[in-house]
Order: sequence, then C-alpha cells, then structure tokens
Amino acid sequence: MRLRVVVAAAITVVLGIAAASASATSSRHQASGITVWLQVDAQSGWPDVVAAATQQFQKDHPGVNVNVQYQSWPDHLQKFDATLAGGNSPDVIEMGNTEMTKYMAAGAFAALQKSSFENSGTWLKGLAASGTFGGKTYGVPYYAGSRLVTYRTDLFKKAGIAKVPASLAEYTADARKLLAHNTKKGFSPVYIAGEDWYVGMSFVFDYGGSIAKTYKGKWIGTLDTPRSLAGLAAFKRFFDAASRASKTTLETRPNPYDVYAQGQAASMVGPGWFSCCVGKFKAQTAQFVMPSHTKGQPMPGFLGGSDLAVPAPSSNKSLAADWVKDFTDTTSEKALQAKGNIPNATNLLGTSINERAAARSWFVPTAKHWVDVENGNILRNMLAQILTGKLTIKQAASSAGDNIASVLNQA
Amino acid sequence: MTTDRTALAAGTAPPRTRRRRRLTARRIFAASVPYGLILPVVGAIAAILGYPLYRLVRLSTQHYGLFELIRHKGQSIGLHNYGLILHDPVFWHTLLRTVVFTVANVALTMVLGTLLALLLTRLSTWVRLLLTSGLVLVWSMPVVVAVQVWDWMTNFENGIVNYVLTQLGVGDYFHHDWYATAFSQLSMTTALIVWGALPFVVITIYAGLSQVPHELVEAARSDGARAWQVFRDVTFPIVKPVLLILTSLSIIWDFGVFTQPYLLIGQAKIVPSNYLMGIYLFEEGYLKSDFGRGAAISILMLLIVALLSVVYVRRMVKLGDVR
Repeated sequence: MRLRVVVAAAITVVLGIAAASASATSSRHQASGITVWLQVDAQSGWPDVVAAATQQFQKDHPGVNVNVQYQSWPDHLQKFDATLAGGNSPDVIEMGNTEMTKYMAAGAFAALQKSSFENSGTWLKGLAASGTFGGKTYGVPYYAGSRLVTYRTDLFKKAGIAKVPASLAEYTADARKLLAHNTKKGFSPVYIAGEDWYVGMSFVFDYGGSIAKTYKGKWIGTLDTPRSLAGLAAFKRFFDAASRASKTTLETRPNPYDVYAQGQAASMVGPGWFSCCVGKFKAQTAQFVMPSHTKGQPMPGFLGGSDLAVPAPSSNKSLAADWVKDFTDTTSEKALQAKGNIPNATNLLGTSINERAAARSWFVPTAKHWVDVENGNILRNMLAQILTGKLTIKQAASSAGDNIASVLNQA
Repeated sequence: MTTDRTALAAGTAPPRTRRRRRLTARRIFAASVPYGLILPVVGAIAAILGYPLYRLVRLSTQHYGLFELIRHKGQSIGLHNYGLILHDPVFWHTLLRTVVFTVANVALTMVLGTLLALLLTRLSTWVRLLLTSGLVLVWSMPVVVAVQVWDWMTNFENGIVNYVLTQLGVGDYFHHDWYATAFSQLSMTTALIVWGALPFVVITIYAGLSQVPHELVEAARSDGARAWQVFRDVTFPIVKPVLLILTSLSIIWDFGVFTQPYLLIGQAKIVPSNYLMGIYLFEEGYLKSDFGRGAAISILMLLIVALLSVVYVRRMVKLGDVR
C-alpha cells in the first residue's frame, strides 16, 4: 500500500509544480522597471536620443529601469499579439500610424491624458488623428518621415547635370545621362526596388489617382481609374528608364542605401534618414525632393509616422506615460529633427528639405482593416505584376483594387 | 514483414492457461503497480499534449480576434470557422500546392538520402568521416542561420551563386532574381529543406544499411543478381522499416513547414499564390488576428497529415505482406 501512496504523492508534487510554474509566468511583472518597444529605426538612427530621454526619465524616477527592446516592422505586431495573450506586454510600444486603428478599436491601449504631453496642442494633424479613437487619445505622435531623393553630387556633376531636376521628365533625362556616364553592369541612376509600394503609390497620387475610397459606406478600389492607371504607367516608365533593381524585390532586400554605398546607384528614393548609411560617400551625398510630373512641384510622398502607445495590460501605466512624455518633449523632438525626421508638432517645424517634402504628401485609406491590406502585400504584388509584364497595368490594378475592397469591407 | 510479426507476438502477454485465482488485496495491489507506474507518464502527456489540444479544439469553435484576445474570452460560434475555411478557394489551392510540395520534398529527400547512404558504405574510412562530418555540420546549423546564408548566396545584387554560375558559363545569372515567381520561390525553399533534411536521413539509413548481412548480399551476387536487383530484393526489404519511419516523419515535417518558406521568401513577398499550409495558417490566424480560424486550420492540418501518414504506412505495410 505504501508504494501507491508514494506514487500518488509523487504525482501530486509533479502536477503541483507544473501548476505553480504556470501561474508564476503569468504574474511576472516587476514594478522596478518598464519595457519599451521601439522600432529598429531608432536603434540605427538615433540611439542617443533614446538614451537621453531615458536619462531624463530616471532623474525623475530614480531606480526605475528602462528596458528598451528594438523590434522590426514586419513581425512586431505578431509579437505584440503574443504578449497580449500571455499577459506580459510591453509598457510602451511604437506603432506605425497605419497600424493604430485596428488595435485602438480592439481596446488594446490605455487612454492617455492628451494635455499632459508637451506641444500636444500643435501636434501634426495626420499623426494626432492616427492616435485618436472615439474622441480619446491612445497614441502620442512620435515623429513623421517624408521621403526624399538621396543622391551622389559627384556623379551628377560628372554627368553634366548642373541642378537638381524640377520635373519627372527632367529626372528621367538625367537618369539617361547618368547611365551613359556609368557603364558598370547593374548600375542604377535611381535605385527603386520594384515592389516599393511607397514610391509606386506616390506616382499614382501625383497623377491624381488614389488607392481606395468610400462610396455609400462601402470601400471601393480606385486603382483602375484613369488617373491611377496613368500614375502606374508613369511609374513603370520611370522604373524601366532609371532603376536596375529587381522588379520583384522589396525596399529592404537589399537595403537601397547598401546598394548606394557600394557605388551601384547615383540616387535612391526613400526615407530622409537614408543619408545616414551611405558609407564612404557621405561627403558626396545630398538630397532633393522627388519632382512631380508637373514642373516645379514636388511629387506627393508617403507621410509615414509613428505613435507611442501604452498597452492596456501594462501594470506601470503612469511610469510608461512619463517615459513617453520625456521621449516626445521639445528637447527630444528637436534631436529627432536634427537626425532628418519631422518633429511631431507644427510649432517645431523648420524649413528643412524633409519638412518641405511633407508639404505635399499622401496617406493610406483610414480604414480599420487597412493593416491587413499592407500585410497581405496586395500592392507589392500588383507592382511586380506590372513591372514584369505578367499582367497588363489595367488587369493588375483592377484585380488589386477588388482585393483591397474586399479586405477593407470585412466586418 | 515476418520478423515484425514475431516481434509483435512476443510482445503480447502469453495466453492465460492457469485457473482463476482468488482476488486478494495483495494481488490487486500487484496488478495495479504497473498502472501506478505508468500514471505519471500518462499524466504528463495529458498535461503537455492533451490539454493544449483540448484548448485548441475549443478555440477553433470560437470567434477569437484581437478584441477577445485582450479580454481572454472568446465567443462560441460552433463550426462556423470550419465552414468558412472549407468554402475558401484559397484553402483548397493551398492544400493542393502543399501536397505537391510535400511529395516533391519527401521524394527528393528520400531518394538523395538513400543514394548518399549507399555511397557512404562504399567509401574509404577517412572519406566517409569527411562526408559524415559535413553532414553533421549541416545538421547542426540552426534553420534561421541557414536561411540567412542561403539568402546571401542567392542575393539579387551580389549573390555568390549568381557569380559562380555566370563565371562557369552556365548562363548570364547577373541580377538573376531567384525569388521572382511562386514556382522559383518554392523551388528555392525545397532546395533548402532537402539540404537541411539530408543529414538525418542519410545517417539513419546508413545505420540501417549496417544491419544488412554481408553474406546475403554476397550470396545474391554469386547467384548473378545485378546491383539494382541486390538493392531491390535484399537491401531494401531489410532497411524498409527505417525508410518507412523516415518517410512518415518527413511527410509530417514537410507538410507543416513554416520557418524556411516564411524566412526565405519573406513576409513581404508572401501572397495567396505562394501559400503553403503553414503559411496559410499564419496569415489567416495571426496576421489577420483571427485566432479561432487559425486554430480551426491547424486542426484540419492535423487531420490531413494523419490521413496522409496512415494511407502511406498502410500501403507500405501491405507491400511488405506480398513479399
């Protein structure tokens, strides 16, 4: 009989340990620190600004650890979902402005007191709107970024280009000149990845087109309207003339600035901070605003941006909000501005090239399911189909438009 | 399969011929000891496999999105998730693509694995050691690292594979995009998976081959059997149990594969026309934050893999009976 008792006791102990360890993991929260999730952009572009904000924060809250963890755009939402399920979500999270709505609608974030943040009265309208839901503030604008052309002044000069192009036609002509002076195989006068939908859609908006619109409460795809089609055709023409990048790759594989740093491109279109990583060409690098097909105007660029939010399950919400205050105050925003970003408030705006580029910008449709369109790679796939000639522009655009409408119209 | 039969028979308890004895406390105790001893294992399996499976099945009958995730509470909707999936043409296309993909991967793995294992038996000791160490190195490389290396080698701008092929005069592979179409993306994934799966298969089959008695092979040879006949009639029947297990395992691995295609093709290039089942599950369940539907997909995948394996194992066992 004794043996059975021993066995029973052993089982009880085993199960007990399992149960105890299971409950231990779910209540793993320490008040002695906060966890901050920022995107790798901060890690490569402005780690010093992050460190300075943390230092400021720790002056007011001695002994509170700030654990900054850098995430990458493609998978940070899945990781975040997993932490929401597991109850160990970060205390502060950086969200892309196109990603906010879905999460605010689901109640993933804590409401914040807008007035307690510096410059909140003059926050950039587009960014502030992306962090507002049902009249409450859930996201604090962090920074915005416009897209610019980063170019090699020496190569432009050598090709006999005296001043930066004022129209798309001029830029195309310049690309031909650059190509004639740089015969190295695979050299791109303007490096644009084929599936870079931020650039592709800029052409669409430049020609007066758009991605989707609401009509009688329903979303309809508008990529196959004549204006959008004209924009897509112009994109294909420009790509064929200027870029030797793969027609079926993205703007992160490889990074355009790596191609540029290897001397394989005379210019590239991308976020303003691309000038950070041009290797030995730092001294020969300058930027201009991507020209429109209408002479003298800038081409509308994607106004990307990030918000900072405090996840609802956080047990350190007020500490988290305080860190966000320090990271978005005038000092931090000025420092971000110095790195080539657009600060979060109009009163901080300067006259830099970024800020001028932001004057004409476009933004994605503000729909709850927009993030599913991005994750579904519908636009990227469409651009690849167009550039490779797999489908005609019209076929690719109308099939993408239908896809987008069906995703946006989900319940 | 006669050897297996006897082994099976030896394993079962001999028939009881002794007369029935009285039940005493001592005897009940003696009889229950084996059950008591197995109880911890049963308990552990129930806890680490049974319970999660139960939760998964329950999740698959719920509407469970981001809203429900935050509140840790789903909304029961019966079999609605299953209905949605079975009416989704993407599911059927993906299933077909995944079955073809799995067959190609398993066939390549097993054929190349068997050939390499046969090669191993014929090599001199130190060449064999060299090849085996190479295989072990491949085996020990983490999948994520392997994907990164493959990605570098096949890079559009300056991939070494493009360079070498061009230098060898195979063709102009400068700026060749190895990931341009769904077919090429999945072919690259197949190459990576087969490469990664070979070491385990080769070493296991090689171990199995060492069980083939030399006398049998020599006897067959002296009776005039050619190499292929020796393999078919002597070697193959003996290593068949090993091949059977390896093939079943490969089916299970390759059907549900996720890491290699997801990382090698890359999230931003994944579209319904290159979905595999593992990816479909991830896109529908995680990316769209529809966890109930994701759970339903994974249950369906479980059933399909079980079905594939059962069909295959039965066929192989039957094949053995005829011999």
